[in-house]
Amino acid sequence: MPGNAAALSSFIESAPPGELSNVTTAIKNIVAEDQSLLQSLGPAFEKYNEEQFTTVKLPGGSREVLVSEHNSLGDGRYYDVESQSSFAFDHATQKASAVQQHVLESEHADLVKSLLKSLTTHTSEHYPASTLSITPSTPSPSHIAIALVANKYSPSNYWNGRWRSLYLLDPSSGALTGSIRVDVHYYEDGNVRLLTNKAVDVKAGTSAQEVTKAIAGVERRYQEELNKAFGGLSEGAFKGLRRQLPVTRQKIEWDKVSGYRVGQDIGGNRTR
Amino acid sequence: MASEEAFDSALDLLRRLNPKDTAKNVDLLCQIAPSLTEDLLESVDVPLSIRKCKKSGREYLCCDYNRDGDSWRSPWSNEFDPPLEDGEGVPQSDKVRKMETKANDAFDVYRELYYEGGISSVYFWDLENDDFAGCVLLKKSVSPISKSSGGWDSIHVFETIGRGRTAQYKLTSTVILSLGADAESLGSMDLSGNMVRQVEQEMSVEDDSSHVANIGKMVEAMELNMRNLLQEVYFGKAKDVVGDLRSIPSLSETNRDRATQREMISSMSK
Repeated sequence: MPGNAAALSSFIESAPPGELSNVTTAIKNIVAEDQSLLQSLGPAFEKYNEEQFTTVKLPGGSREVLVSEHNSLGDGRYYDVESQSSFAFDHATQKASAVQQHVLESEHADLVKSLLKSLTTHTSEHYPASTLSITPSTPSPSHIAIALVANKYSPSNYWNGRWRSLYLLDPSSGALTGSIRVDVHYYEDGNVRLLTNKAVDVKAGTSAQEVTKAIAGVERRYQEELNKAFGGLSEGAFKGLRRQLPVTRQKIEWDKVSGYRVGQDIGGNRTR
Repeated sequence: MASEEAFDSALDLLRRLNPKDTAKNVDLLCQIAPSLTEDLLESVDVPLSIRKCKKSGREYLCCDYNRDGDSWRSPWSNEFDPPLEDGEGVPQSDKVRKMETKANDAFDVYRELYYEGGISSVYFWDLENDDFAGCVLLKKSVSPISKSSGGWDSIHVFETIGRGRTAQYKLTSTVILSLGADAESLGSMDLSGNMVRQVEQEMSVEDDSSHVANIGKMVEAMELNMRNLLQEVYFGKAKDVVGDLRSIPSLSETNRDRATQREMISSMSK
């Protein structure tokens, strides 16, 4: 068994979209007497926010920006190319502060800017609400990181959802690798979760137009596959688990059930 | 004694965290807050484990209600495995064990008709004033058929209060449903969770076998209801939310189409 701090960190890391504050409040109530445990959660919050591309409005701004390991400047600061700013991010409260001007200096600055332009056009056509970050990747500086997150929260109807795409573009070869993940939580009288992960590895090209076209194609094909998979699970595994009605299309006559001989009287003449 | 607030928060947490990890998370919560252990084990449903009856060779399902310490009672032989020490355990009344046996036979038929496989187990226990309570458990797994797999666990817990020629039944049902698919073009997809429903009903009782039939009817209606609900949430709601996050057709086209539609409707109504 992991220690208590590791256990609580695992709770933080699996918080559903838009429910981190609910998870944190619940944890606080459970460990009320042990404040030192709460202090140890810092790295878990940071991991959650960077992996989930947590979005935040910069003070004084109207647009949302996201945080990830790819646009990290270290020491809890992140930057956004579009608004030419950097900011401090508090991982526990998910608030931004100390905004400064930040001009991208990179041999790929022009490509990053054209990508921002063409991908923003694409995302505004397919995501009702989304946030995009395109920067040279901090952990992998020879790649351009394209991070996209689309959230929709409806806690009053007991559901929340998140679509995340991350692509690393190699500007010299035009190779595009990454992943698309969908996370949906439904929790009215229950707890139902959809978690998906699709690896992406395509030859995209080196121009902003080519990369945008490749991403649009990959995402469209993936969403079509996912829609098909819902049907496949419904018609396949779900049907194979429990029938809606017995083969006879009739409910059981419980008063006579002790007289049933399984597989003969009721189940038709099914052979096994 | 754990505070009520801590217990409610633990339940709230389990309602939010990945339902596939519920069993593991209950263990972790018991480790973090040992005072919650008893309440959590009693009120949180996790996938049922399977044991084999040493006497009959048949498989049965395990839960808190057929457990005594580290021993589990088989509904087929009525014997504990490993056997209890002399003087341990409270045996059921003959009347309740007779009904339990009948219920196990009836739900075995039910299982075959609806699940065409799987395992069922029914456990009854005595309450005060000659009343009784019980649980009906059903479990089925499908191993990868055309790259999809799944598991279904039903846990129905009921209480029966006799009122002369009728009885009041209170039923709480949980279905734990896990589905998964894996394919090159799809990647991995996991769609798992649990849903809970409660119902109360008064039904007429002639003799003890009426109880088995009444409970059977209630469980059958509940499962039909819950199956429909699960279908709606898993394949309707979850898919709709994905569509709300991302639209396959372009949004400006969709908006243009909607505007055109509105214009047509308003011009027709003029």
